[in-house]
Amino acid sequence: MRKVLAIIRREFVERVRTKWFWVGTVLGPLLMIGIIGFQILLSTKKGGERRIAIVDGTTTEYGRRLVTQLGTAVSRFHMRRVTPNPRTDSLLLDEVEAKQLDGFLLVGDSTLDFGVAEYRGSNVSSVVDMEELQGALRRLIFAARLERHGIDTLLVKQAQIPIHLATNKLSGRKLTGVSGGQSFGVGVGMAIILFVAILMYGVNVMSSVVEEKSTRVVEVLVSSLRPFQLMVGKVVGAGAVGLVQLAVWLGSAKLLTGVRWRPADAAGGMGFQFPSIPTATLLVFVVYFLLGYFLYAAIYAAVGAMSSTEAEARQAQVPVQLLMMIPYISFFALLNDPNSSLAVWMTLIPFWSPIAAPVRYGATRIPPVELAGSIALLVAAVLVVTWMAARIYRVGILMTGKRPNLKEIVRWVRVG
Amino acid sequence: MTNAILAADHIVKRFAGHTAVDGLSLTVPKGVIYGLLGPNGAGKTTTIRMIMNVIVPDEGSVRLFDAPGTARDFSARIGFLPEERGLYPKMRVLDVLLFLAETRGVNRRAARAKALAWLERLGLADWRMRKVSDLSKGMQQKVQFISTVLHEPDLLILDEPFSGLDPVNAQVIRDTILDWARAGRTVLFSTHIMEHAEQICDHVCIIARGQKRVDGTLSEVKRLHGGRHLSVAFDGTPGGAAQVFGDRRLVAKVEDFGQYAELELTPTADAQDILRALVASGTRLSKFELVAPSLHKVFIDLVGADAARADARPEVARA
Repeated sequence: MRKVLAIIRREFVERVRTKWFWVGTVLGPLLMIGIIGFQILLSTKKGGERRIAIVDGTTTEYGRRLVTQLGTAVSRFHMRRVTPNPRTDSLLLDEVEAKQLDGFLLVGDSTLDFGVAEYRGSNVSSVVDMEELQGALRRLIFAARLERHGIDTLLVKQAQIPIHLATNKLSGRKLTGVSGGQSFGVGVGMAIILFVAILMYGVNVMSSVVEEKSTRVVEVLVSSLRPFQLMVGKVVGAGAVGLVQLAVWLGSAKLLTGVRWRPADAAGGMGFQFPSIPTATLLVFVVYFLLGYFLYAAIYAAVGAMSSTEAEARQAQVPVQLLMMIPYISFFALLNDPNSSLAVWMTLIPFWSPIAAPVRYGATRIPPVELAGSIALLVAAVLVVTWMAARIYRVGILMTGKRPNLKEIVRWVRVG
Repeated sequence: MTNAILAADHIVKRFAGHTAVDGLSLTVPKGVIYGLLGPNGAGKTTTIRMIMNVIVPDEGSVRLFDAPGTARDFSARIGFLPEERGLYPKMRVLDVLLFLAETRGVNRRAARAKALAWLERLGLADWRMRKVSDLSKGMQQKVQFISTVLHEPDLLILDEPFSGLDPVNAQVIRDTILDWARAGRTVLFSTHIMEHAEQICDHVCIIARGQKRVDGTLSEVKRLHGGRHLSVAFDGTPGGAAQVFGDRRLVAKVEDFGQYAELELTPTADAQDILRALVASGTRLSKFELVAPSLHKVFIDLVGADAARADARPEVARA
């Protein structure tokens, strides 16, 4: 046991000493702060000033009114009315070219009748700009059409009061106070952290195995420890580093949730708040992280043992990474419909549940039986996979030269 | 077996296509320096790996300290230097030593004091906080040697301990091994360089093609397998010596090194006849001595043909 502790200790201390550990540990929270800062930036600044020309091809009075209203519809859009003549097009194009103008909007009678308008500009790829322009047009055309049919202007104004759909996640029978957006954010965040952390620490275990193999230190080690002790020591040591790093990340996330940032001039009290993570979700997250890590770390140890060089190992681990990516790339589906059969299967299949289950748990309430089943299956998989990996590891670490094929690996497991 | 610290009994290891070790038995008594000698590919490393239980023999058994258990069970009492050296390149020298001592069951504090003393002794004290990768190959070898003796094992098993070392450092390691044996501990080491073996071994075992050719104490082996030998050195040119050496009635074998030669006499030859013939041939002699054969000579006689053949076969991947 003391020998295993020595392995764990070395694995932990040597990793913590690398600058990558510190970069990763500090960068995590910084990235979170960055994301929040970016969100805040987006919520205050809706985009810069735009100069837009309205090429007014309308002939009716309603059309003229529409153009006038459009001119003041969005405060940051500086509109200028232009009457079309044969040379307008090329003149405006010159102005856009010279960056005196961002673009020009072509409106005519058909805009009012059929809702057809065209915008030409250098900023068409700006989703925010285009949405606002289209929104303003829709609103004004809607009102203009109603008015054209004799509906009272005041009535139209009242009808146009915007709808605000408040979302609130239900857990059990309780309102959690977590909005849909925040819930989604927590889910995505967990998927990313789980995927990155399990992959990163799994690969760490793999590199460590390959290092001992390529430097031949392993020969001295197996003359004093059983290969299984060595493997377990490595997995636990690298995992401990992962836990420390996660604790720093989660701790800073928890601190950040206390920060509520509400810009003074934000309309409708829509500030940005870092979503708070319920303790139960956090617990589920940690449990699945640990089990998922043990599952994949054992696989990575075996992959490392099969390879002679770091480069070879990186190549050999691609299938493992792909296996882990399946639940990761499904997070949208999981969050969109957390009770679909796809989601249920992903919660139960051990190779996927470490990422799928916490993500789903963050979005919905998983029946306790299902959660228990998922964890039980995962624990069973950890045991079976570790047993198999240990056998591959035992043979593989002393093997040099050609990478074994599948048939040989199966033989290692059977003979081990 | 009374005082055998290590006994291998008919151990066999087969790899795909060939038998690396073929029914080898050897017995290492307590307190001796035991040389496992053989040409490249003779099976020395495979034998040592089986002794260390790094690989398991297909047949036969290894008994250590006259007690049941494998090398792993005795890891605190054995120091092992594998053929292919290697340490963690990114670790600090002192940390590597402490770690390896820990895996042998020594606690860190005790290991620390000993490691510092050893680093001092082998001239590496200033390097203790440097990364292993900053050290030269030779220094790394010395660090690894320290790691094999740090836990003060009763039995040292060294696979080619001198390979890659310059003469000065080889001397340092040789002296350390001698000190070790004087303290009543046992050393088994392999080498294909007979001069090293001759200088320090009490016992030798010469193997070729996985089989034992001879074993016993160094003097026994020389006496039984060496024949009568003459060492002749010339003062200036050999003159007509070549003719005398070619006389098959007197000389069974010659190893001519230019300025000196080693002769093996035929059973009936008299050294006086050779001396007379050499003087008569006009050769100026600076040395004419009846000697015990060098281990080198014994080795060449016993395994020379095998070694030449073994070289034709590529080193096969070990498992």
